Amino acid sequence: MLEKPEESGLNLAGVRSRVQGSQGKVVAQAFAKVLLIQVFITSALSLALIFKDFVAAYSAFIGGMLYLIPTAYFTLKVQFKNNAHTAKEILANVYMSQFGKMVLAIALFSLTFMMVEPLNPLSLFVTFILMQISGWYLQFKLNNRFLKR
Amino acid sequence: MAELLFIAVALLLGLSALAGALGVSLLGGKFLEGAARQPELVPLLRSQFFIVVGLVDAIPMIGVGMALYMLFAG
Repeated sequence: MLEKPEESGLNLAGVRSRVQGSQGKVVAQAFAKVLLIQVFITSALSLALIFKDFVAAYSAFIGGMLYLIPTAYFTLKVQFKNNAHTAKEILANVYMSQFGKMVLAIALFSLTFMMVEPLNPLSLFVTFILMQISGWYLQFKLNNRFLKR
Repeated sequence: MAELLFIAVALLLGLSALAGALGVSLLGGKFLEGAARQPELVPLLRSQFFIVVGLVDAIPMIGVGMALYMLFAG
């Protein structure tokens, strides 16, 4: 009796993906590195602002966390807790993770604006946008394979 | 004035959702296309797909944040 492609570890066309493990490990390490650098940037920015204005400092920290928590959730779901083998499964997993990330971001933004008082919106959004830009830059820099192909 | 604020928030959220959905669906379509054409490259395509999906939703996320700020602070 033939076993299912998912059970035998075969991908869409029945080709065993020998490089999947090593490829996934490299990307997971790159994702973890990017997240660590971003945590460092957020903390450094908040610490630098704490001597100037306490509200701006914690607003900057919240801005960083508003980016980092949904992104960490997405990375965890897609990269570390992912048993998808076929292209269809991979796509479904990414779509669901992306949906979860957006819902988490909306919930966290709403909670912040409802519960944190006083808040410095400039500091919060500048940190949030800085995190997005640093995410682009670091992904392109760390995944140099991505640029070459 | 409040009506205009709600319209602005609705536009920001709606356009952000549209942009994110378009970007991710185009990317997903290309991923499936690539996987069907060269199945042996699925692991590589998968890794690059994860990276680019993470980048696509940056601007929509900023839009959502701004819209929610306008809604709650306004």
